[in-house]
Amino acid sequence: MKTENEIIDDLTVKEYEFGFVTDIEMDVLPPGLNDEVIRFISAKKEEPEWLLNWRLKGYEAFKKSEMPQWQNFEAPDVDFQAISYYAAPKEKVKLNSLDEVDPELIATFNKLGIPLNEQKALAGVAVDAVFDSVSIATTYKEELSKHGIIFCSMSEAVKNHPELVQKYLGSVVPYTDNIYASLNSAVFSDGSFVYIPEGVRCPMELSTYFRINSQNTGQFERTLIIAEKDSYVSYLEGCTAPMRDENQMHAAVVELIAHENAEIKYSTVQNWFPGDKDGKGGIFNFVTKRGICKGDHSKISWTQVETGSAITWKYPSVILKGDYSSGEFYSVAVTKNHQIADTGTKINHIGKNTKSRIISKGISAGKSNNSYRGLVQIGNRADNARNFTQCDSLLIGNKCGAHTFPYIESKNKSAMLEHEATTSKIGEDQIFYLNQRGIDPEQAVALIVNGYAKEVLNQLPMEFAVEARKLLSLTLEGSVG
Amino acid sequence: MEIDLKDQIKNKFESLCAIGQSSEGDSIQKLRGKAFATFEQLGFPTIKNEDWKYTNVKPILKDNFSFTPIPTTSSYEEAIKDKGYFGQGLDAYTLILINGIYQPQWSNIPSDDSISIAAVEDVWDQVAIDEILNKDRNNKSNPFIALNTALFQGGIVIQIKKNKVLDKPIHLVHLGDSSEHYFQQSKNIFIAEFGSQAEIIESFENLNTESHLLRNAVTEIRVAANAKLQHYKLQKGDASLRLIEHTEVEQEGDSQYNNYTFTLPGYSFVRNNLNLALEGSNIDSHMYGLYLTNDHQLVDNHTLVDHQEPHCESNQMYKGIMMGHSRAIFNGKVYVHPIAQKTNAFQQNNNILFSDFATIYSKPQLEIFADDVKCSHGSTIGQLDPDALFYLKARGINEEDGRSMLVNAFAFDVTEKIENLEIKDLLNEAISQTMLGKALLV
Repeated sequence: MKTENEIIDDLTVKEYEFGFVTDIEMDVLPPGLNDEVIRFISAKKEEPEWLLNWRLKGYEAFKKSEMPQWQNFEAPDVDFQAISYYAAPKEKVKLNSLDEVDPELIATFNKLGIPLNEQKALAGVAVDAVFDSVSIATTYKEELSKHGIIFCSMSEAVKNHPELVQKYLGSVVPYTDNIYASLNSAVFSDGSFVYIPEGVRCPMELSTYFRINSQNTGQFERTLIIAEKDSYVSYLEGCTAPMRDENQMHAAVVELIAHENAEIKYSTVQNWFPGDKDGKGGIFNFVTKRGICKGDHSKISWTQVETGSAITWKYPSVILKGDYSSGEFYSVAVTKNHQIADTGTKINHIGKNTKSRIISKGISAGKSNNSYRGLVQIGNRADNARNFTQCDSLLIGNKCGAHTFPYIESKNKSAMLEHEATTSKIGEDQIFYLNQRGIDPEQAVALIVNGYAKEVLNQLPMEFAVEARKLLSLTLEGSVG
Repeated sequence: MEIDLKDQIKNKFESLCAIGQSSEGDSIQKLRGKAFATFEQLGFPTIKNEDWKYTNVKPILKDNFSFTPIPTTSSYEEAIKDKGYFGQGLDAYTLILINGIYQPQWSNIPSDDSISIAAVEDVWDQVAIDEILNKDRNNKSNPFIALNTALFQGGIVIQIKKNKVLDKPIHLVHLGDSSEHYFQQSKNIFIAEFGSQAEIIESFENLNTESHLLRNAVTEIRVAANAKLQHYKLQKGDASLRLIEHTEVEQEGDSQYNNYTFTLPGYSFVRNNLNLALEGSNIDSHMYGLYLTNDHQLVDNHTLVDHQEPHCESNQMYKGIMMGHSRAIFNGKVYVHPIAQKTNAFQQNNNILFSDFATIYSKPQLEIFADDVKCSHGSTIGQLDPDALFYLKARGINEEDGRSMLVNAFAFDVTEKIENLEIKDLLNEAISQTMLGKALLV
């Protein structure tokens, strides 16, 4: 049996398993950011004028914004001029079936364990695979269109449903929101667009796998999901990226809009390259995610499993505007080596009788730092608002850090808020108990961590839950506290 | 406005330097210079500063301040009797400070040699005092502390001698008196030597309520090994008084420090910074706070517990009841260093909002770098249980009394921890009085 130290060493030096580079010709814009680049992107995508103007406004806002200073880590100096803002696979013929897809791409997805050609067989999953910036294959489109559901890439949506895009784009995350949201508004490349019409319950989980591939190309995805009255949709997002020595930045924006009685469930499994054991390389994940419960009785739920990225910096938030609306946030964040996670949520209670629930589980190992930062805000008209927050941290080793920064604000006398947090390590007695029953320490830790994160993992759709559980065990293999 | 104030501060600093040349030592002059440079660089904090996010100091800095008090009377015996202060008449050794200056003629101190009391300027050549004053925090980072260090005058040093156990608490009464708005900078130092035990109570009042008193005070506390210090802050008085209180505590191994901070309706602005550095092992620290706010009060409690060594225990419990248009802020932080294994740190903040115009901001933070620790925090915001109120009403207790009972019960977690029975009664009485008062906006 391995000693504790060996096991911890194993864990801390574990190499990223999904690191490889796909060799496909890319159409890459030279690095740099200015009006011309934005015009180029817009023209390349044959966008209408209003969108170009919106991008340019975003760029103006970007130029005026300053880097935030409040975060609990040293923000890397990002040279925005050294990034190339457009990369698309050269093969640009529209494809209808998977057979037409570049076999090398298929191979990439296969290596990641996301076999596109098996997706069809896997009941209920339609995949809009985003390979760098341009969508290359969309399945199940016909099945979805029978229900009137629109599930396509953002560029297609701009072409085919401009009125919807114009109405909702930037309505939840305005281009002035923060520096990365402004940047995204200016240069967003592509992303997913989902529209669920009134009264429709989306018959399958919608899913997009993101990949970052081209060197030095920051990804600026833009996702927009609209759920009309009485509709339901569950959306999955999962990511892995090839190994790199240079930091890559990912600044996506996700906007969710839930109308009366609608429900949106958004799940993420994120396993981008976290950097090697010395903290070199790795992805910067600076994402702005926000949903609005516009109508009464609407519901938005975020679930995230974060194991990758050198720096994860995001706060999926919910604005509870409609009366009786509810928001949920479930998160597991695992950091090791030199990884940094500063993540959490923001919930704004505006409507009456609104409810929110936050469950956050942080696990830090190696020399990593894992922070929960959350804001729960009760406006003075949010009568009977209710919030429950629980954030727990597990520490593995004494070189890592676990931090909690909850901001709790209430302006209403009938609101009820609860917040609790604990920090601890994996109990020696728990491991001993499992050892006694013939389970070795590695498995014991995996078991305990899975149990610890179960409340969150249970929220994931079935296919994802399996993947996430595997990922969690894999990431934390053999970490004995 | 602020430019004027800054000019004034500069003038005050220059005049202090001119006078100080002869009377103050080089070390102090140098320290003032460094601190002033820091203040000039930082300026007053704005709400963009994370530590002052919810506490805007601009409104309280608007007054046309004088930096030297202009006393309205010289017979303080009468004035104190007329005006009174919260905590008057407690069985204690009472030390009166007027505008930060210790007044032995109206004070009574223990007749034996268990404590020594001195004005700061009389002892700042002592190595220990010099060392405390020269701590980095006194001239870096926090603009109000830097301002205090640059301009402080008066102040008191209390040393509780080795192995002495005081028979009665020491009651410090900080009184202000000036015919013009007065921006006071005061520095106090408490040292509990090895094995000593003492209780220190602090009260604050403005005698001339016509003019505003902005008190920017820094209290430096050392608790040596095996010593035990109980520290009470009773904050209830006139709205013309605004408090910015920094309390810096350093604890050696095996020591105990308890802090009780009670803020009741009155002062329009209160900011308490309570920073504890646990520098040894087997330290016990407790912080109990109660804030009951009304009208347009702003009460801000910031705490920091810095666990530097293993096997220590810290416990924070702050409870708040907000009425009227008041605002309350609780920001607690526990920092556990990698070496501080086996730390037990608890933090709890419970709040009741009584009014739709009142606001509470609660931010309990943990920053943990050691794995074998037990750290937790909890924070709640809610209201009185209507069922409990109904239960009392059904038994013939009117709504006002019932509410007062429930608030007393809510505060009980904190008030029961008070070891000084006189203070416990005083506080319970004050809570009941406040809750029965007509000012209650529900």
